[in-house]
Amino acid sequence: MLQLNRRNFLKSAAATALLAGTGLPTLAQGEKLKVGVIHMGAISDTGWEYFQAQAWRALEAEFPDQVEVTVLENIAQIQDCERLFRQLSTQGHQLIFGTTFSQYASLKKLAPTLPNSHFECCAGIDAGDNLGVFEGKHHEGTYLTGIAAGRMTKSHVLGWVGAFPVPQVIYSLNAFLLGARSVNPDVVLKVVWANAWVDPAKEKDAVAALVAQGADVISGSPNTPVQGLAAEEKGVWSIGSTGDFSAYVKTKQLVSFELDWSAAHIEAAKGVLAGTWEPTNRWRGLGEGGFVKMTTSSPELPADVAAEMATAEAAIIAGTLNPFAGPIKDQAGVEKVAAGAVLPDEEIKGMTWLVEGVQGTLPGA
Amino acid sequence: MSQFLPILFATLIAGTPLVYAALGELITERAGVLNMGVEGMMVTGAVVAFAVALTTGNLWLGVLAAMVAAGILSLLFSVLAITFRANQVAVGLAMTIFGTSLGSYLGKPFVGMALVLDASQAAGGFAQLPLVGPLFSAIHPLVWLSWGLFAAVWFFLSRTRAGLALRAVGESPTSAHAIGYPVVRIRYLATLFGGAMAGVAGAYMSTVYASLWTEGLIAGRGWIAVALVVFATWRPERCFAGAYLFGGATMAQLFAQSAGIGVPSELMSALPYLATIVVLVLISRDAALMRLSVPASLGKPFDPQG
Amino acid sequence: MSIRLEARPQPSRTMIWLSPLLAIGLTCCVAMVIFAVAGLNPLSALATFIFTPVTDLYGLGELLIKAAPLVLIAIGLSIGFRAGVWNVGGEGQLIVGVIFGGWLALNYGPDGGPWVLPAMVVGGAIGGALWAAIPALLRTQFNANEILTSLMLNYVAQLWLGYLIFGPWRDPAGFNFPQSEPLAPAALFPTLIEGTRANASILLALVAVGLGWALMSRSFVGFQLKITGLSHGAARYAGFSPNRAVWIGLVAGGLAAGIAGVGEIAGPLGQIFPTASPGYGYAAIIVAFLGRLNPIGILFSGLLMSLLYLSGDVAQMSLGLPSSITGLFQGTLLFFLLTADVLIHYRLRSSTVATGAIAGSAK
Repeated sequence: MLQLNRRNFLKSAAATALLAGTGLPTLAQGEKLKVGVIHMGAISDTGWEYFQAQAWRALEAEFPDQVEVTVLENIAQIQDCERLFRQLSTQGHQLIFGTTFSQYASLKKLAPTLPNSHFECCAGIDAGDNLGVFEGKHHEGTYLTGIAAGRMTKSHVLGWVGAFPVPQVIYSLNAFLLGARSVNPDVVLKVVWANAWVDPAKEKDAVAALVAQGADVISGSPNTPVQGLAAEEKGVWSIGSTGDFSAYVKTKQLVSFELDWSAAHIEAAKGVLAGTWEPTNRWRGLGEGGFVKMTTSSPELPADVAAEMATAEAAIIAGTLNPFAGPIKDQAGVEKVAAGAVLPDEEIKGMTWLVEGVQGTLPGA
Repeated sequence: MSQFLPILFATLIAGTPLVYAALGELITERAGVLNMGVEGMMVTGAVVAFAVALTTGNLWLGVLAAMVAAGILSLLFSVLAITFRANQVAVGLAMTIFGTSLGSYLGKPFVGMALVLDASQAAGGFAQLPLVGPLFSAIHPLVWLSWGLFAAVWFFLSRTRAGLALRAVGESPTSAHAIGYPVVRIRYLATLFGGAMAGVAGAYMSTVYASLWTEGLIAGRGWIAVALVVFATWRPERCFAGAYLFGGATMAQLFAQSAGIGVPSELMSALPYLATIVVLVLISRDAALMRLSVPASLGKPFDPQG
Repeated sequence: MSIRLEARPQPSRTMIWLSPLLAIGLTCCVAMVIFAVAGLNPLSALATFIFTPVTDLYGLGELLIKAAPLVLIAIGLSIGFRAGVWNVGGEGQLIVGVIFGGWLALNYGPDGGPWVLPAMVVGGAIGGALWAAIPALLRTQFNANEILTSLMLNYVAQLWLGYLIFGPWRDPAGFNFPQSEPLAPAALFPTLIEGTRANASILLALVAVGLGWALMSRSFVGFQLKITGLSHGAARYAGFSPNRAVWIGLVAGGLAAGIAGVGEIAGPLGQIFPTASPGYGYAAIIVAFLGRLNPIGILFSGLLMSLLYLSGDVAQMSLGLPSSITGLFQGTLLFFLLTADVLIHYRLRSSTVATGAIAGSAK
């Protein structure tokens, strides 16, 4: 460690003094907290990266004189992010955020070896040595949007554009159907897998395929307005899960919710500033300090449906309503959750089965 | 059968970029120039079109800008491959790499932004026509124009003197030169045309098909277009049909999934690429057919000095 | 008076080695223009860009670990390119190498044993070679263009890997995220230099340089390949089989790419992800050309390309430029190289003589 610092010092003595490698292990009084963030994709004005960026922007707003954020975008390769996390740490960033689960493996390897920095990973699997994780309870959001969808569908067919069959997507779409069925038991959900987080052409074609099958409300994990726009073109509703796209989808976005990670960022920064930071595993949904926030709803949404959603939201926050409360059967009709029971968190997080009423299979199954 | 119309429409939309790119490459190759840089030109065209359409709000300005940008790239290609007689395959590969990386660099500020253009604005005056008007709103003008392109290319190659000159240059540039045709100029024009069409194809992808720019938008369609020309045995009508065949293949897997056909989705996603290989093999194995169809001077540099 | 190109009676030897340097120089100029436009001091930004990544031991290790697969694949590809065989499928061949090597690692790694790693390397080589054999077969049997077939197979290979990772190879302890379980220690390359990620795959790359040089400069097979690349007619006259050149050319690239793939999963990744390759298959094409299709040249151009990757990150972190600048510089470099290569076969002449007379007399 010391050797590296000496080399860093020599480097900065040369003309290219752009490295701030002070590398002080502890935060001295009055010194700024340096925060490092690595984005896998590009930060635009919608989608996953946007909300990750909003979180560190909130951090800057909350601690205007105490925090300095270094941001790297478009680090798509896992081999590279390991090197860059390490570089951020050796350059004196005391708090470092990973923004997606594919960075988790690298952070898990690195965090124990770099005690001068504290690490957090969004959508990481589990907290570890010097590494905290946080993820949102997307299913709470999708359950509520499912209520709206269930009430507004005329064809009783809903559509879901599946990005990748990871548990987060699976439990989100399951909860979507469960929410819809809680108000409309005859509804079914058709799923088409695009096998990409962002592939505008495929997403658009997927929406076309779902609409051709009769779906009149489309949801998914949209990172761009493409799905909403495609649905609008066909005259069907779309739902903005992972963000509000109504700036683009002017008339046909039914409801939306967004992911707000600022609580995680601010709490972590507070912890580091106070010297009390501990690696934790936060999985939060709706409510105060949570990561899921319901945002817009279309003016065409009837007041009673909006009220129904609000009541359900309050119940989820109070803990009296659980989207995965039994009885729940899977596609084969096997009962997965008994009446009166609730699916344990661990099983939600690792979900690989689809609930009854979902039409479509899991790829690679 | 209620699926038929949506599938038809979807195939039309998916096939259009291939129509533009493949027909453009067809003209280029019929003149004897092998342009492997189509993919890079499509990417650059897509980015430029998106950027211009987003900032001006005008789709057609975007398309025009894409044609110019891709045209500039194909001009660079022509200078290297035609005037300087560098290896056409190497230059084409370089163009693909250069065009793709240029596109992603220029496109960085625009990633994820959506382009919302009024469809009726695009249709413009056409929508006012009696009887056929509504059709123009349902099917985008760029799709109509691609049909016009096909007709024009077919007519040009088979019925005009200029088309004859182009074909002569492609078959035997030395003879064409001896007759007095301006071989180099014809090849330049053919390559520029091909580049411009690749630009339109890219523009269509980013402004109409996806209304968005991201890396990986083109996803190898430029290469499929090059392959299309081969297994269309350099005939425009087969190019045209082939483009829709492949557009359909890309669509098929999504419709199949939603209809509940339980084939692994990755296999279905691989279909267009596998199909390209299969058809390519089927066409290429007929050596006589290839000998008759390939423009004899394809890929070979031409030296006016003899 | 006008400047025109005049064909040289024979290719210029100096230009062969000068043109890559010229291309690098021109790219540096373009870089400085871009830096200036971005409001930075061009010279100091360029210096930062070039030198910062390698000023500490870890950085040097990163340079080597990124150069190794590039050099490896480029050597393989260059053998084909010399013979006129265009293998654009390095990406897919790398991925199939990952699949074959990965299968071995996942099934036999946990049991350990010193044979696991060599078996993975061999397995990866076989995988890549088989994937390259497909376009070779299609070309020799059906005359199908190998550029198109090898390229299409890239996409197919990517989807195949995706299918495996999302399905049978998913980590049972990974909460069903699309990744394999971490590779067992027996399946990982040992670290060569303490404090870095540099591992034994660097040695493999060096061996490839040696083998490539031996093959192309010292063996009869290499001679045959070179002749085939220069003139099919001459080769056939001499009794060299063009089909054999196709096979050797493609399989060499596939072998190398497959090994490079194993190097990635047994090295910096340590796990199998759907995105196993960062585009090395395409970057290796640039490395091969920049290195003049010569193993020693490729060694240097591989290091240069690796530096460009690292510098792109520096550009983002310290200069505030988008990291896609790496791709732009790579593309520009290749483009300038092809332009400078023109001067190998032609020289610039200012002419006052009527060209018509020369053309007439040459006829």
